[in-house]
Amino acid sequence: MVKKIDDMNFYELLEISPAAGTQDVHRAYDRVRRIYDPNSIALYSLFTPEETARIRLRIEDAYRTLVYEESRKEYNRMLKERNELPEPEPPASKRRPVPAASAPVQRPPGPDRAEYRAAPPQTPPLDDLMAPVAPAAEPAASATTEFNGPAIKALRERAGLTIRNIADMTKIGSRYLEYIEAEHFGKLPARPYLRGFLLLYAQALGCDSERMIADYLKRYEAAKPK
Amino acid sequence: MIEIQDALRKKEIWAIGGGKGGIGKSLITGNVGICLARLKKKVLLVDADLGGANLHTTLGIGVPEMTLSDFLNRRVENIQDVIIKTGVPNLSLISGAQDFLDAANPNFAQKTRLLRHLEAIDVDYILLDLGAGTSFNILDFFLFSDHGILVVLPEPTAIENAYRFIKSAFYRRFRKVVTHQGIKDLIDAAMDQKNTMGIRTPFDLIERVKQMEQEVGEILELEVLKFKPKLIVNQVRTKNDIQIGFSMKSACRKYFGIDLEYLGYVEYDDSVWQSIRSKRPLAVEYPFSRPARCIERIVHNLLRKEQLTASMLF
Ligand SMILES: Nc1ncnc2c1ncn2[C@@H]1O[C@H](COP(=O)(O)OP(=O)(O)OP(=O)(O)O)[C@@H](O)[C@H]1O
Ligand SMILES: [Mg+2]
Repeated sequence: MVKKIDDMNFYELLEISPAAGTQDVHRAYDRVRRIYDPNSIALYSLFTPEETARIRLRIEDAYRTLVYEESRKEYNRMLKERNELPEPEPPASKRRPVPAASAPVQRPPGPDRAEYRAAPPQTPPLDDLMAPVAPAAEPAASATTEFNGPAIKALRERAGLTIRNIADMTKIGSRYLEYIEAEHFGKLPARPYLRGFLLLYAQALGCDSERMIADYLKRYEAAKPK
Repeated sequence: MIEIQDALRKKEIWAIGGGKGGIGKSLITGNVGICLARLKKKVLLVDADLGGANLHTTLGIGVPEMTLSDFLNRRVENIQDVIIKTGVPNLSLISGAQDFLDAANPNFAQKTRLLRHLEAIDVDYILLDLGAGTSFNILDFFLFSDHGILVVLPEPTAIENAYRFIKSAFYRRFRKVVTHQGIKDLIDAAMDQKNTMGIRTPFDLIERVKQMEQEVGEILELEVLKFKPKLIVNQVRTKNDIQIGFSMKSACRKYFGIDLEYLGYVEYDDSVWQSIRSKRPLAVEYPFSRPARCIERIVHNLLRKEQLTASMLF
């Protein structure tokens, strides 16, 4: 049914399906946040600056709730109680990105593709990139290599996330995230803080935080001037 | 007119509007027509811009002898008499009224007669090129059509006009489905953005109507779901310009609760004015230019009842 912004649930706000994977949440957040930027001319004359500010706040709430597994589960439970979440969530291992209900993606069938040549290049179905970041689905590479800076960076990029995304999720300054990835050990904070950073970063990537912390701190220790 | 709309029809009527002048409505109407005709569809273009007809110019046709005003003023009885050939196979045209003073505001009887005659014409598609503005005549043509298409430019004034157009069309449609005079008055009052009743959005209006008559409010809610205008962003120069279509779609869902379908965009290119200067249609003179191909793509989306999705872009 027709809903006011204030009545929209977090999925509707971010324009994603309740079955959307974590990567879709990131993407949707990036997208929607850009749309409701105070300078976005697409809103011109429709929303007052106050309304836009309120929508932005709700978008932030939505993102922070849906991006973490725990809070999302909690939120879904609440939606179910209010009968706003009809279908049960698919098991994590089978979860595939589902496009927003309002934007059905229908691709032209094969032979007619040529007619679309004028169009900008289409992205291939990035199944790889959009695979859920659950520990179980972790790519084999990371199981064999250690979590050093470049490996962490590669994991992040494969997840389709920018430093900014991670900074938003973790509240860690993007400069520090860059130092972590570049292994600028000298510029990183003291060990307990770094440990905290790594924990948050690992959670944001959805990878094995204990291993990531252990691997990274080992390198950090080794590089430290004795 | 809503009654006629409900009548069984096999042809499709598309209206192209947008609220603002000089944004490419005629350019798009003419060239969409050419693309459809090339796909072996029988197409009739109607210049329904009753104030400043110039669709014939985008088709490279001089001022025609017979125009819509001859029909509206009953100088001819049969609409066939004002239909002219365009030089493109399968594509014909009813040129716009030139003596706009008396034709600019056809009365209800004239409009009904026009629409009844259009209904009877044997073609696959009728494309109405609407004039600028949000007058009742323009809104009625827009609402009467099977697909109402809005053109915007990536700039605040055009966007503002597009939203005003959507809102006006939307409220006019509301107004047509209610009979209760009190509710009609409420809708009229709500049109004024600065109304003192605290009605900002269609949601507020529906809530208020529900308080008056629950059932009528529910009917209006259904109207919201049925209203699906389509959007074309013209004169895009950057990726950000293309993005504006998606942003407007999102804003419309959140503000009006409606589904604005993003049909596509047309790139800004010199080939457009070159073709106008050479008095030849863009799709004929420069069929492989970027704007011509963009329009082709829009036609395919229209025929497939599809819209642009972000994943097709980047
Ligand atoms: N994609 C484009 N690239 C370059 N120029 C364009 C483009 N689209 C439109 N124009 C320019 O804008 C002018 C106006 O276009 P057009 O006459 O189709 O607008 P309109 O909306 O029908 O105007 P009106 O409201 O006066 O009927 C054209 O003559 C052309 O020069
Ligand atoms: Mg025009």
